[in-house]
Amino acid sequence: MIEFEPFWLTLKLAFVTTLILLVISIPLAWWLAYKKNNFKTVIEAVVSMPLVLPPSVIGFYLLLAFSPSHAFGKLLQDYFDIRFAFSFPGLVIASVIYSLPFMVHPVHSGFNSLSPNLREASYSLGKTKWQTLFNVLLPNIKSSLLSGIVLTFAHTIGEFGVVLMIGGNIPGQTKVASIAIYDEVETMNYDAANTYALILFITSFIILLTLYLVNRRFDKIKLL
Amino acid sequence: MRKFFFISIMLLALVRVAAQNNKKVTIAVAANMQYAMNALKATFEQQTGIKVEVILGSSGKLTQQILEGAPYDVFISADTSYPQTLHRNKFGTVPPRVYAKGVLVLWTTTPGIVPSKDLKVLLTGNVKKIAIANPKTAPYGVAAEAILKHYNIYDKVKDKLVFGENITQTNQFISSQAADIGFTAKSVVLSDEMKGKGRWIDLDINTYAPIEQAAVILKHGAETNKDASEKFYSYLYSKTAKDIFKQFGYIVN
Repeated sequence: MIEFEPFWLTLKLAFVTTLILLVISIPLAWWLAYKKNNFKTVIEAVVSMPLVLPPSVIGFYLLLAFSPSHAFGKLLQDYFDIRFAFSFPGLVIASVIYSLPFMVHPVHSGFNSLSPNLREASYSLGKTKWQTLFNVLLPNIKSSLLSGIVLTFAHTIGEFGVVLMIGGNIPGQTKVASIAIYDEVETMNYDAANTYALILFITSFIILLTLYLVNRRFDKIKLL
Repeated sequence: MRKFFFISIMLLALVRVAAQNNKKVTIAVAANMQYAMNALKATFEQQTGIKVEVILGSSGKLTQQILEGAPYDVFISADTSYPQTLHRNKFGTVPPRVYAKGVLVLWTTTPGIVPSKDLKVLLTGNVKKIAIANPKTAPYGVAAEAILKHYNIYDKVKDKLVFGENITQTNQFISSQAADIGFTAKSVVLSDEMKGKGRWIDLDINTYAPIEQAAVILKHGAETNKDASEKFYSYLYSKTAKDIFKQFGYIVN
């Protein structure tokens, strides 16, 4: 009755997106938290753009960007023989853009909440910027990192509009769970749509519940 | 007191006149009819003074919305089975009637790709992605699948297929060159918006089941907007409308 491939695809997309965003967002959030200039404000606004732009807009521009008739798409096609539209890597790029604020914001506010003394103490003890980041700052914002990870993961699971615009509904490539649900509703298979939706609902609930439980433990550790 | 009555009656009369001038009819239209609909709408509004509000979507989605109680007066489908479903479920007041037959074309906007009637072009290395409408919800997608099977190349090109949610999205894939080539309705490539964009070719109409497109008056229209709905419905089968359908590449009897 229902296939599990869409779920697998959704989880894979959420996992890869979260991993990439974690790598991108830590230096970005660090830069936003500790650099003071006007350009920073511009970047902050850019990072938050996916929160306001409708997914259809992001999707449409990505479709154009990925198309071989435009510079970026042509470059990819001619030199690397890659086409991102209608492919899993294309969905990953779209999700990274679409979920960017969900990772950057929590990590950014985590850095902001730390006392400046921490950094200064670390520097005066002769630690480099990177050592300070990995050994001092990040261990102190575990709960922010966790929020970022979970929010990004959950947000990517619920992604629909962007995928609909650039995915092309290809089984095993771009037919993620949200698209599968839409398909079943469209063809009036309400039972299948229900099953899909229920599985997605339970998965998301478990993920979020885990976050809050783990977060409570972290808070306790902080108190000790 | 008499003054008050007089004013009230005048106001009532005014409201009535305003209501008559604000007549409109809401039409749910299958995506392939988008361009022909603009012309139909203009002529109908000129003839009757009734405003036409167009709701576009795939036939499947619109049918589903209607079954859930969407307030549309008339449904113009891309096939006959969806209107039949509505009629069976008492959402259509008249049996579905065919207004035109849809024609499928092969269309590309990618330089260097030449569409061929025998579909051999789809097997070449230049063609990496072929756009068709989702066969689950769009009759033009069903026709595209049928023609691929007719020429025995469906299995060879299966991995190149990308599915537009309806004809509109399929067109978007083709015209943005995100897909190299694709199957769409002839009405699309004949429209002012798409004329001269890329190259297209007529396909043998005997290679797929005819796309008989039917319309139906909906319960909502019959109950709340009888006059305008009926006017529009009969207009669909008038000579004026037939000429417009022909102009957009549809076959009319």
